[in-house]
Amino acid sequence: MALPGQVDAIVIGSGAAGSAMAAKLSAGGKQVVILEAGPERDASSLISSGIWARRLKWGGDPVIEAGSNPVGHVFNAGFGVGGSAMHHFAVWPRLHEEDFRSQSLYGEGVDWPIGYADLRHWYDRVQTEVGISGDAEKEVWRPPGAAYPMPGVPVYPQGRIIAGGFEKLGMQTAPLPLAITSTEYSGRPACLWDGWCDAGCPIGALANPLTVHLPIARANGAVLQAASAVTKILTNDSGDLATGVEYATANGESNQLRADVVVLAAFAIQNPRLLLASATDKHAHGLANSSGLVGKTIMSHPAALVYGLFEEETRCYMGATGGQFVNQDGYAKDTHSESGAFGSYQWMIAQAMKPNDLLGIAMTRPDLIGADLQGFMQRSAKHFASMTAVIEDLPVADNAVTLADQLDTNGVPLAKVTHTTHEKSKALWGAVLEEGKEVFAAAGASEIWTGPQEAMHIMGGTIMGDDPSTSVTNSYGQCHDIGNLVIAGPGLFPSSGGVNPTFTLHALTARAADHLLERWGSMTA
Amino acid sequence: MGQTRRSFIHNAGIGLLTFCVDGCDVDLSPREARARGADFGVLSANEVVSIDALGEILVPGSTVAGLAHFIDHQLGTTVDQQLLMIKYLGINPPFLPFYRGALAALEAGATTRHGASFAELDADAKAAFVAEIAKANPQGWEGPAAPFFHFVLRADAVDVVYGTKDGIERLGLPYMAHIEPPSRWGG
Repeated sequence: MALPGQVDAIVIGSGAAGSAMAAKLSAGGKQVVILEAGPERDASSLISSGIWARRLKWGGDPVIEAGSNPVGHVFNAGFGVGGSAMHHFAVWPRLHEEDFRSQSLYGEGVDWPIGYADLRHWYDRVQTEVGISGDAEKEVWRPPGAAYPMPGVPVYPQGRIIAGGFEKLGMQTAPLPLAITSTEYSGRPACLWDGWCDAGCPIGALANPLTVHLPIARANGAVLQAASAVTKILTNDSGDLATGVEYATANGESNQLRADVVVLAAFAIQNPRLLLASATDKHAHGLANSSGLVGKTIMSHPAALVYGLFEEETRCYMGATGGQFVNQDGYAKDTHSESGAFGSYQWMIAQAMKPNDLLGIAMTRPDLIGADLQGFMQRSAKHFASMTAVIEDLPVADNAVTLADQLDTNGVPLAKVTHTTHEKSKALWGAVLEEGKEVFAAAGASEIWTGPQEAMHIMGGTIMGDDPSTSVTNSYGQCHDIGNLVIAGPGLFPSSGGVNPTFTLHALTARAADHLLERWGSMTA
Repeated sequence: MGQTRRSFIHNAGIGLLTFCVDGCDVDLSPREARARGADFGVLSANEVVSIDALGEILVPGSTVAGLAHFIDHQLGTTVDQQLLMIKYLGINPPFLPFYRGALAALEAGATTRHGASFAELDADAKAAFVAEIAKANPQGWEGPAAPFFHFVLRADAVDVVYGTKDGIERLGLPYMAHIEPPSRWGG
């Protein structure tokens, strides 16, 4: 299908943020084209296999990783229609009030230009639209907001056993808030709890872009063109307005598309890459980069992984990949200050596990081979349990996306991303691991071990703020330098908090889309 | 009725990949490809022998599960289609130089120490060498980091032995992807 030469809005990227933005703008009457660099996906792409699911991971231009704690780009990013949200675990907690004011309250991190009160309405609205299962009353740590529209996820032995450990230590648990259907919801069937979430959910129980927002966008006339890699964002002669994009199709053909508004929603690494690579004489250091902060402050939650074996059968293959319960007793950012640590964290308890893949049972003990591995697998298959803590990653300006010397096939410099975890975040990771081992011991584990620090989620790189000298965009994602160039996604986060980012990026996107539609004319003048 | 889960899961596990047998392209699992003697497209005969020998020590059963055919097939596909775990372990493609370099280092080490290929070593010598590469680069090792290669090949072997439908069910676990919802959402 040939694209028109001019549309109201171009959305670059079809992941969580891009598809949500496209749905909102098209529903608001705007003519929208979504350009997706990767391949088309449909439900038949979502094969329940830890091996086949790797096709959902990043498969585009290589990203060069550096630093002591790489962000794990290929593992955390996605490729193709739906982006990384196609393999996300759908754990959707809210940020807490203190996450927005960390610098003001504690003298650490970076404040957001908005507070929880500004997002509460949007969290509630998205929650109804997308559908979240949980128990708001049992989440005693949860900031105020509407109750979840669906009851909490079912509990399997793994969850019950570990929750017992928390209880023995005087700690609390609540059903993990998941954007997965625990009951039929808006025409989507209830989840089967077969533990294949990260392989993509083909039945529509998990709220990925194919299930929720892309159908809305398409129904409202939005056009999604896959295998179309944007190579440059175009601006007018004076450099104060975006005018469209150049993009390359799979056969290498270069095209241009014009629009009143350009939305950059290609995730936290490719967004700054494209801004930096679109430099002009008016923007010599990259678009929207008068602050010099494009690409800066990349963050990735360090994951604290705790494993154990129990005498009782855990049925660890059942449930959701994200887990069954949540604990946020340690969310106050100074909980482990005696260890030199700072930041918030939460436990995701009782993840559904399969035998293989990076997060699979066999890979939790990479030291075992031969008969030892065979014995371990036989013991673990029915008695394994795990939980993972999401650890706040304090923002560090030098953790950044820059342009590499190497070019892709279209002549665009590759992204290089450098990340080394802040010492206080590392200290928190260590302290939280110890807590996790205590919980498993209290739960009666016969064996307990932990995993290395792994990178989970990618945020920052185009942070929002009120001051154009210390941020790239305003709180709606509009670039300070180019008002009709809008950034959407977790790249806007000035700080990471200690929870999974997808719910928050959806709330931000809904808020931004509403704002854009209200001010469309003035924004593009 | 829309496409059901069963209809696109029936080939899952590692599932069916296209191999060449007697000059004809056929869809086979890696296990079947090995059993039928499918051609190798990328790996040399010596490299296949090395993979089989090392893989069997790391994860027993990986040879007959078709480890070498799995790796060979994947190294011959485009990056966005590849299923090897190495794709998200911080190594940028192409991945053939990684495997080829590590296998060459393995063989060079075996030859230097024992005057024989790795596959020809007795069980104790193999085990000792594998224990060494799990910890650090052996003296004289020239290739990708030995412990990382150990991790990667073990992961590949785990995939073919424990990551398939048969492998999961051999552990006594239900694969469950065969549970059929009434229809895909939206019908």
